[in-house]
Amino acid sequence: MADISSDASSTAIDVRPLARRPMLEISGVSKSFGATQVLCDVSLSVAPGEVVVVIGPSGSGKTTLLRCINLLEDYEEGTITVDGAPIGYRRRGSERIRMSERDIAAARATIGMVFQSFNLFPHMTVLRNIAAAPVRVKGAPRETAEARARELLAMVGLSDKAAEHPARLSGGQQQRVAIARALAMDPKIMLFDEVTSALDPELVGEVLAAMQQLAQGGMTMVVVTHEMSFARDIADRIVFIDGGVIVEQGKPDEILFAPRTNRVRAFLKRYNDRYRI
Amino acid sequence: MPFDLNFLARLLPALLEGAEVTVELAVLTIAICLVWGFVVALAQATRGPLGWLAGGYIQIVRNTPLLIQMYLVYFGFSMGGFGLSGFASGLLALCMQNGGYVAEIYRGGLQSVSPRQYEAGRALGMRRWTLYTTVVLPQVIARIIPPMTNQSISIIKDTSQVAAIAVMEIMKISEVWVETSANTYDVFLGAALIYLALTSAASLAGRLCERRFTFAQ
Ligand SMILES: Nc1ncnc2c1ncn2[C@@H]1O[C@H](COP(=O)(O)OP(=O)(O)O)[C@@H](O)[C@H]1O
Ligand SMILES: [Mg+2]
Repeated sequence: MADISSDASSTAIDVRPLARRPMLEISGVSKSFGATQVLCDVSLSVAPGEVVVVIGPSGSGKTTLLRCINLLEDYEEGTITVDGAPIGYRRRGSERIRMSERDIAAARATIGMVFQSFNLFPHMTVLRNIAAAPVRVKGAPRETAEARARELLAMVGLSDKAAEHPARLSGGQQQRVAIARALAMDPKIMLFDEVTSALDPELVGEVLAAMQQLAQGGMTMVVVTHEMSFARDIADRIVFIDGGVIVEQGKPDEILFAPRTNRVRAFLKRYNDRYRI
Repeated sequence: MPFDLNFLARLLPALLEGAEVTVELAVLTIAICLVWGFVVALAQATRGPLGWLAGGYIQIVRNTPLLIQMYLVYFGFSMGGFGLSGFASGLLALCMQNGGYVAEIYRGGLQSVSPRQYEAGRALGMRRWTLYTTVVLPQVIARIIPPMTNQSISIIKDTSQVAAIAVMEIMKISEVWVETSANTYDVFLGAALIYLALTSAASLAGRLCERRFTFAQ
């Protein structure tokens, strides 16, 4: 595991030089739902501008890991930092202290998340969906926020949909709006949880294209997906999770074509059997 | 049946005077219930004693007749030594019962907002107040307008029951006119038409609110 930082007890703000400081650092995160342990001592470090694709069988903990990053799920052990700033828990010596709701909200504002089920706000126009958080959370002037929202809409190819309500859009269009909505907060990192799984096959491409463009623009991304060819194209690194632990990680071609562990081989075989035409 | 126009000309102003009281009662009840019902709905959503209290309240007020609640309030207060006017007793009973119904409407509205909506808001950095005012309540409001309109119409009709504790609203005035004249049918027909006008106005208001607040789902 390429983990440059062994100082899991690091305190509030990371002071390492920018170039070496990971954009996302997950260290020793464990999470259970009742008696089932879903994440076991997961550590992962993502460099600025890096695109990490997370793959693994259904139920392996991929969604939970993403949700822990912005504290939509609480976790019992470990800490997570984004750009050196702790999310959710700080360490004071050996103590692990939960941050205030205000600080957690502020931390979440720096992390963009796109969900499998879009989750756009149905009562707002597309433009409002994108501009709402910048206005209400960051206090941006409405005109500024809406001007930026229009830029983002243009970026995802939906300039003509600004005044529509989400219910009038296709799934692919809704998901692109959701991406724009997350980007409007100028996040330091973007999390994608199977964002094309709920889409009709012919709508998948337009969403992947938007993500590709984002990756090329230098965004740090953690992407959970079952689209293996997309993973290969976009990933700087692929991480394979099974049973709540990182089993293997490495360059896309290593993981996809020369996996070292049987578990990855078995997963890819099952995957290939299922999706071979 | 031939209507006696002279009679109607004398009846109408009397009924309209009653209508003023009816409207006052109904508007106050609706306004108070919009707030009180929300408080009860929030209380009911909490775990523990407060939640049980709110749940018990809703069960009791919804499952006993309004008329009996009115009598209990009216005679209860006068037995307690500080008599409440018929109007105040009626208003209190109307608010008690309809507060329970309105709380249930709010509860349905709140439940109709998916947990994913809350998550989407939180993932954008929204804190509780912002989340509720930006994401949750606008959706709740849109969804409760039709049942709230129905409830308002039902409140308008229910105000007629305060006649039983001698409040001079449409119904009580009608009863008095029936006793002092032979035109029973005309009196009640006139009263019915006035109620119809009031409930139609409420339904129109509801329609306008719908046009303003609802969105394509
Ligand atoms: N809210 C929850 N309550 C209980 N168990 C859950 C909950 N969410 C997920 N799980 C369980 O945690 C495990 C990991 O789930 P998840 O992170 O969604 O996996 P993946 O996204 O890799 O398919 C699964 O066994 C799932 O059943
Ligand atoms: Mg998942």
